[in-house]
Amino acid sequence: MKWIHMYALLVRASIRSRMQYKFNFWFSSIMAAIINVVEFLMLAVILLKFGHIKGWSLAEAGYLYAVLSLSKALYRMFASDVHHLEKYLVTGSLDSLLLRPVPVLLALMSQNFSIKFGELIQGIAILAFSMGTMMQTGQITWTALPLTVIVILSGSVLLFAIGLLTATAGFWITRIEELQNITEDAARTAAQYPMSIYPKWLQGLLISVIPVGFANYMPSLYILRHEAGIWLVGLSILVALALFTIALRAWKIGLARYQSTGS
Amino acid sequence: MLFLTLARKMYLSNLQYRSAHLVHNIASALFGLIYVSVWTGIGEGRSLGEYGLNGIISYVAFNQASLWIAAFLNNGLGMEQSVRTGQIALDLVRPVHLFYQLMSKEWGQIAYQFVYKFLPIYALYFFVLPLHVPSSVITYVWTAVALTLAAYISICLNYIIGAAALWTTESRWLYWVNYAFSMLLSGFLIPIEWLPPWLAAISRASFYPFLHYVPTRIYLGMESPSALAGSLFWCALFTVVCLAVTGMMRRKVEVQGG
Amino acid sequence: MITVTELHKQFRRAAPKEGPFKGLRSLFSRDYQVKEAVCGISFQIEPGEFVGYIGPNGAGKSTTIKMLSGILHPTSGEVRIFDRSPHQERRLVTKRLGVLFGQRTQLWWDLPTRDSYDILAAMYGMDAAKKRTRLGQLRELLALDEFLDTPVRQLSLGQRMRADIAAALLHDPDILFLDEPTIGLDVIAKRNIRQFLKDINLNLGKTIMLTTHDMDDIEQLCSRVIVINHGRLGFDGTIDDLRRRIGLPTIIRVTYNKAESMEHEVPAPLRCHSRAGRTLTVECNREQLSAMEALRLLEQFGELEDVHMEEPNFEDIIHRVY
Repeated sequence: MKWIHMYALLVRASIRSRMQYKFNFWFSSIMAAIINVVEFLMLAVILLKFGHIKGWSLAEAGYLYAVLSLSKALYRMFASDVHHLEKYLVTGSLDSLLLRPVPVLLALMSQNFSIKFGELIQGIAILAFSMGTMMQTGQITWTALPLTVIVILSGSVLLFAIGLLTATAGFWITRIEELQNITEDAARTAAQYPMSIYPKWLQGLLISVIPVGFANYMPSLYILRHEAGIWLVGLSILVALALFTIALRAWKIGLARYQSTGS
Repeated sequence: MLFLTLARKMYLSNLQYRSAHLVHNIASALFGLIYVSVWTGIGEGRSLGEYGLNGIISYVAFNQASLWIAAFLNNGLGMEQSVRTGQIALDLVRPVHLFYQLMSKEWGQIAYQFVYKFLPIYALYFFVLPLHVPSSVITYVWTAVALTLAAYISICLNYIIGAAALWTTESRWLYWVNYAFSMLLSGFLIPIEWLPPWLAAISRASFYPFLHYVPTRIYLGMESPSALAGSLFWCALFTVVCLAVTGMMRRKVEVQGG
Repeated sequence: MITVTELHKQFRRAAPKEGPFKGLRSLFSRDYQVKEAVCGISFQIEPGEFVGYIGPNGAGKSTTIKMLSGILHPTSGEVRIFDRSPHQERRLVTKRLGVLFGQRTQLWWDLPTRDSYDILAAMYGMDAAKKRTRLGQLRELLALDEFLDTPVRQLSLGQRMRADIAAALLHDPDILFLDEPTIGLDVIAKRNIRQFLKDINLNLGKTIMLTTHDMDDIEQLCSRVIVINHGRLGFDGTIDDLRRRIGLPTIIRVTYNKAESMEHEVPAPLRCHSRAGRTLTVECNREQLSAMEALRLLEQFGELEDVHMEEPNFEDIIHRVY
């Protein structure tokens, strides 16, 4: 409870820092929204022309895309600088976080908090369009809504865990940008599309090594297409929590390593 | 010669990071494979117009590799950084035109990326994907010309984006917005004729097709080299704009002291 | 209060590879060079002491401070503060430490200074009343009022240092580690900060450990000096002990009125350093001879036009100790 209060305070401070540069704040929010809209537009254009991809309609593909980008927005909002650990390692500013009587990860997460307006708004818009369409055709009912919220939350935990694990590697190799490109950017881009389009090895990769498939595709099989059972959603949450636990462990080990070898 | 000195310096300074860049190529190649998979998924049970499945795979693969020539340059040619540090004022008073300085450096960057990114990525695709490869030497020559012009347009664009930092302090976002538009309008993922008519019209009225669509179609033998007249037109126009922008920057720096 | 026993710290640095494909090979395997940053240091600090921790650049000062404050873990050896280990109980120990790195601020760069104190107070679990009293005292002592509502990035270096010292003291720690608290400040700002540190040491009984490159900091503040060089303890004692131990000569340069006055041997225990025109430069060991006595010795050869004295350079002292 004490930590949550602490975190909220740090987050508020971050927001106030951001607001010192109002123009930049709104400018970057609008730009981020445009970038995201264009990204989705590419998929939409293809699907509008060709109807479906391996049996996935535009509404379904949009759902996959929106769920994932909302999860990502949440992760990047609440743990922004986990993604930027490299900067802390290179400049040595991790030291000042270590001086605080606060868990280092919490202090890191609260740095540079930013509300991802752009991503949130376009994610919600696409989600509303996709779910609206599917409800009209009767493919899904209102029960899909709470499940979707759960999936988004569990997805953000999953993405956070993947991000944290990747960042933790920085304690050993310092330069993690290239690794992040693979585990975060490439893997997430892959999960924006229905996974059945990929060759088997890539599908395997995306549900085991970098299990980003559990952020949207796997639970959607049940929510949208009523395949398997609700246990798919449960499994997705389980995978997210398991990876989160592993990531926390790894973080502790990595931090201890930093403290015993850092310079 | 200043041009070669600057370009060489940039090439060499990149060279020390090449092992990291080779790792990065894995991610870049993966992105291309994702897009190829999208089209393979679409192409299942459909004919894909004049391209055919192999054609569209070749199209997307070549585009992905040529990102490193026509799209991924130094963000704003590094001007955002030099605006923040005040270095820009110094660069502007040098006896060599700022645009020429930065452009020369960027050609070194592009040369490096051609060797260490374009070639490895395309080589990888050549072995794992069913690619269409031109048989006539002249096609390679025209492709090289098309990519060079595309790179020049991209350099100009980044110069303008970088210059914007003098007014907005944040040019990083403009870089990514330009990138997003280029994904959609340059025919990077979707050939322009398949865009909805209104988007296709916007695209055809812009310079974006000359970054990816035209070079790649020349490479695949689907376009005649005469399309490069359009590239030349945009190159000329952008050169004029870049020179004008430099003038504005100079006035701005003189008034505000950077 | 602080006990350091046989403290060692080694850093490993990747050795650059030679030969073809060195870039690629260095991705997969690395050879390391081991650097001993801190090597077998032991000392004890009692409550109320004001200790100067000095040494040349790269001697291991900051590394020691980082180990004392729990940022780094020692390779071997032990640190105990209030009989706790800052490595095993980092959060508990940091609550009772105030740490300042002069080269780097711990305030929130873009926020008004006041906001940083709110955040820090919450981090250290201070309630509103306690925060108000504490900040009230610091405001007065450090004259914070002039910039409490200014964003940190707009403060002058002197103001920022005061703000940072207040931040380090806000939670009323018993021990202060100050890493170069006067770096880059002008004379007046330095004087103010020294006065303040002296006050809190004498009147509030804070234990202070300070690293610096400014010999005046040491002379005016520290009751005890610990010298470290190449990671090893070179000296531990009072300033006077340090001077005696070194016996570095003071340089005295005199200019005579007449050139004839130069035609004499330099009397012992002074030693001739150099002669040029009417100017004679001698070395004088102050342990053997006071400055006045030295001048009197030199005056017997003729009237002095000008006198110039140089105290031994700080860096030289440190090098001499080792």
